[in-house]
Parts: sequence; C-alpha cells; structure tokens
Amino acid sequence: MKDMELKFEDNSIEFEKELNELDKFVINFTKILNELDIKYVIISGYVAILFGRSRNSEDIDIFIEKLDKDKFTELWEQLSEKFECIIPKNIEEAYSDYLLKDTALRFATKDKFIPYMEVKFPKNSLDEYSLKERKEVILNNHQIFISPLELQIAYKIYLGSGKDIEDARFLYKLFKENLNLNLLNLFIQKLNIESKFKEYIE
Amino acid sequence: MKLPEINLEELEKDKIKNFQERLKFIDKYVEWLKKTPNKEWSSQQKKIIDL
Repeated sequence: MKDMELKFEDNSIEFEKELNELDKFVINFTKILNELDIKYVIISGYVAILFGRSRNSEDIDIFIEKLDKDKFTELWEQLSEKFECIIPKNIEEAYSDYLLKDTALRFATKDKFIPYMEVKFPKNSLDEYSLKERKEVILNNHQIFISPLELQIAYKIYLGSGKDIEDARFLYKLFKENLNLNLLNLFIQKLNIESKFKEYIE
Repeated sequence: MKLPEINLEELEKDKIKNFQERLKFIDKYVEWLKKTPNKEWSSQQKKIIDL
C-alpha cells in the first residue's frame, strides 16, 4: 500500500493539505507564538484532525511555556489584534486567576465564539514532557508543534471516552510504522492501560 | 404518555456493537487515507469541518 503523502524527518513531519477552518485558526494563532518565540505544544483532538481524522472540534488544547507577567502581556497584546479572550476578558485575571492557577484561557477569533484555543501552562510531568519533546509539523510551509504521537496515543487511551479511543486508534493505525513502539509501550505501562490498548487499539 | 419498555441489557449490547463498528470504520478509513492523495482526502475533510 502506498504511504500517505507525509515527509518524515528525525523530529519533524512535513505535508501539504487543503486547509480547513480549524487548520487556518491554528496557523493564525501559533504564528503569533512563533513570532514571539514562545514555546508551545498542541495536544489532544486536533492532532488527529490535523492528519485527516474525519471529525470536527470546537476547541484546540495548547500548552505554552510558563511566562512571566511582562511576556504574557506582550502575548496578550499581540493576540488581541486578531483574537479575543472569551474567558476571562481581563488580562490581570487571565494571568493571576487563570494561568497561574492551572485554569485555561479560551481565545476565539474576534466576533466568533468557536473554535477556541484552550491555553494552559503545563501543570504536571506529562504536560512538561509533551512541551519538552514536542514534534515539529510543517503544514503548507507553516510551522506548528504537536505532542509526541506516542504520548498522544497513550494519553487518549487513558482518557478513555469513545472519541478519545477512536482518536488513539486512528493515530496508531496511521503512524504505526513511524512510532517509537518502545516509548509507546512505556507510556502504556506507566498509565496502566495495557488491557485497553489490547482491546481497542492493536 | 406511556413510555416504551426499555431493555438496558439490549441497549448496552447495541452500544458496544456500535463502538466496535466505529473502530472497524477507522481502520478502513486509515487504509483509504494512506492510498489517497492529500489533496483529495483533505478536500473531503474540509467539507465536514467547514460546514
């Protein structure tokens, strides 16, 4: 069988596709993060959608590196040109009462409510790992960063809803030949999901 | 209005069967994705997402 038209490098995947509204939203948002040299990683459902999963999503989850107040202010001002923070509206509240307290900010394109970007600081070791070990994707010449696929698959199984299991199976079947299976097995063991993996994914 | 009899055991079986069918569909979909030019599959995906 012919492989999907994806170009794999060591730490990078490059491909072209006809961009949908979700792709365009992600590109517009992450372009600002790239320009401000803020480290980020996209996790969760959009990773599967990016590579062709046939479903939609109203939200995209993203971790950004922990920023001090000045850098966050710079980010807020840049984002405010095209995006609006729906929850909360105020920068002080956004930084002190949300980000610093592990609560997500929700940014949508101005005058829209969905889709929205759910922005958080990493709060646990898995969040930190996904940010540190993020993978580069070059989508139609735009650079975005996603969670390592091995962690993404294992964590989706751990979450365990029907949609999550389907996303995990999609990514596993699509990328099986390119995954680090030892790493995937380690995450499966650590998350104690061996039986779910055997039942739903393999 | 009188509600219909509800057989929870039967509903649970249907739910599991439906999920297994969805997983099988994903396998077929991935097979199709791998042999289909990006331009084609992404055009179809765009129609779903940009509804």
